[in-house]
Amino acid sequence: MVLRGPVRTAARRFAEVVCPPGVRAGDRTDRVLGELELMLGALQPTARTAVAAVFVLIDQAARLHPRARGRRLGRLDDEAADAYLRALLARPGTAAQLAGRLKSLVVMCYYELPEARREIGYDPDPYITAVSRRRLDRYSADIRATEAGVAAPDPWQDRR
Amino acid sequence: MSPLPGLVGQADVGGDIVVDCGAVIVGSGAGGATMAAELSEAGVDVIVIEEGGYHPTESFGTNSCRALRTLYRDGGGGMAVGRPSVLFAEGRCVGGSTVVNGGMSWRTPARVLARWAAGGVTAISEPDMEPYFARAEGRHSVGLQDPGTVGRDSELFRGGAEAKGWTVLPNRRNQLHCAGTNNCTNGCPTGAKRSMLVTSVPRALSLGARLFADCRVDRVTRSGAAVTGVTGHFIRQGGRAGPRMTVRARAVIVAGGAVQTPALLARSGLRSASGTLGRNLSLHPNATVIAFFDEDVTGWQGVHQAFQVREFTPEGLLLTATNLTPPMLAGIMPGHGRELGELMADYNRVVTAGPLVSDSGTGRVRNVPGLGAQVFYRLTDSDAARVVRGVELTGQALFAAGARRLLLPFDGTPEARGPGELRRLLSRPVPKRSIQLYSIHLMGTARMNDDPRRGVTDSFGEFHGVPGLFVADASLFPGPTGINPMETVIALAMRNARQLVERRSRYAI
Repeated sequence: MVLRGPVRTAARRFAEVVCPPGVRAGDRTDRVLGELELMLGALQPTARTAVAAVFVLIDQAARLHPRARGRRLGRLDDEAADAYLRALLARPGTAAQLAGRLKSLVVMCYYELPEARREIGYDPDPYITAVSRRRLDRYSADIRATEAGVAAPDPWQDRR
Repeated sequence: MSPLPGLVGQADVGGDIVVDCGAVIVGSGAGGATMAAELSEAGVDVIVIEEGGYHPTESFGTNSCRALRTLYRDGGGGMAVGRPSVLFAEGRCVGGSTVVNGGMSWRTPARVLARWAAGGVTAISEPDMEPYFARAEGRHSVGLQDPGTVGRDSELFRGGAEAKGWTVLPNRRNQLHCAGTNNCTNGCPTGAKRSMLVTSVPRALSLGARLFADCRVDRVTRSGAAVTGVTGHFIRQGGRAGPRMTVRARAVIVAGGAVQTPALLARSGLRSASGTLGRNLSLHPNATVIAFFDEDVTGWQGVHQAFQVREFTPEGLLLTATNLTPPMLAGIMPGHGRELGELMADYNRVVTAGPLVSDSGTGRVRNVPGLGAQVFYRLTDSDAARVVRGVELTGQALFAAGARRLLLPFDGTPEARGPGELRRLLSRPVPKRSIQLYSIHLMGTARMNDDPRRGVTDSFGEFHGVPGLFVADASLFPGPTGINPMETVIALAMRNARQLVERRSRYAI
């Protein structure tokens, strides 16, 4: 479990600001964090720790933004939080790059939610079912023959 | 119980194991699986070791994040450090990157083979390679798409390029009546893509090979100059180290890809007199232009990538349209919050396209203590200029196809609302650090050359000075192919396996 305590709090607020407003509907933010947790599990331990540290850094670095008046990201209202992240992402340099990578990761998790996909008109499962069935209807003989040939002998006939 | 004969996963192993074989192959992607099938057919006792897990066709779905976690190394988030950094992705599963690539199957261009031959590689002319390309294409059902499987996004891009008078080729892909599900990068849910998972891996296993999945190779072992096998460990759920694995073998074939292969060889204490092990990395940098149309494009209905613009091949540029799933598109979209939501609301009116640049090979792979294999890459000025030109050409084709506006892969550059504006925006210098690049073609880090002072391996993939140690992946390439590299890897593996079989008495396999 990477996202716990202050890291989870920072990640939650970050997700609320970088994802589209729909993230606040129902339990979507929690599910984004759940997906994010799974993604972090696929990283090397060092990278995982680094990501956790960057969430906390972004949260705390908000204190330096003029509109934050010394507050961390988690304490900012939406407008100030948005202004802070906009400024951070637009800055040249490593900080912006890291924040940009985290933003990418979090919004990827958001657009994995079934309802977020449906809202933008992406519903591939019925389509995949239909074209897969059409493939089998049209080409089953050829498919069967090829599958059967996967293990068929095929030695080189000539010597070089 | 294993679903494939000869397949052993981490859950099947209770304690440390030691096994013997003739040849051990590290990696089950295009090079490793092909080697396994060819050697097994010749009667060699083969063991394949794959770091990733076994994920059958039935397990593939449309969840991109799940695919990134299970089928890719490091969740698909590899990064070549540089200015700019380049994101890259590598497969890590049984079947390797062939499970998650777009399935483009092109022969190595004759001019590239001629360049490699002139540089010191023997038996690599077009006539030399023809039988291997033919065998690779037959084995993997390489051909054109069936009618009715090409998406509107690809058709729009083709139309735009043809309106400009440019040469456009339909893609040759390793597919058996591809249905056009556009799920290539998450694993093909029908098995139509003839990846190693459904071709050479089951073929090798049916011919007697054994496959250890979820197993990471730590070192290649040697006694004197000769190789004696490999050692490694199984990876338990959650990434914990599991039982140790020792394979004693008379030949070792390393096919872990252009990042992991040089890293494994280097941490095994192997050095190349050429000084090129881990160097000479090319990665075909790609950039993505996001185009918005007035019409519904619904690019996810149709094959992942259907055409290639070949007009600018002499300049080292290939242009393609490739549909991205919502998470992948959102990941590269500018903006956040409401602004991102508004951009993504037009998902079904988007076409994503861009250039692939045949680059100059200025990258390097190094083992960094605590971090493992790390990639460093310096984009040259001339390659950067070609990225910018490729983006402009892509944009021209998209506007010719009817695009209303474009988002460009350069940080801080405003959107372009017409060809004139695009030209004007790109007439100003584009800072290299602002270019957003990614790669899925990594090559060249153990390049072949008959001269040990110029290459890591000989022309048939055998490591100079280490009898019985072979490389069998895109690391071997002396330079970039300029096109999708999978068929080159497969054909070279077939050629090199044949050579190995003809010389098998040397290795007692």
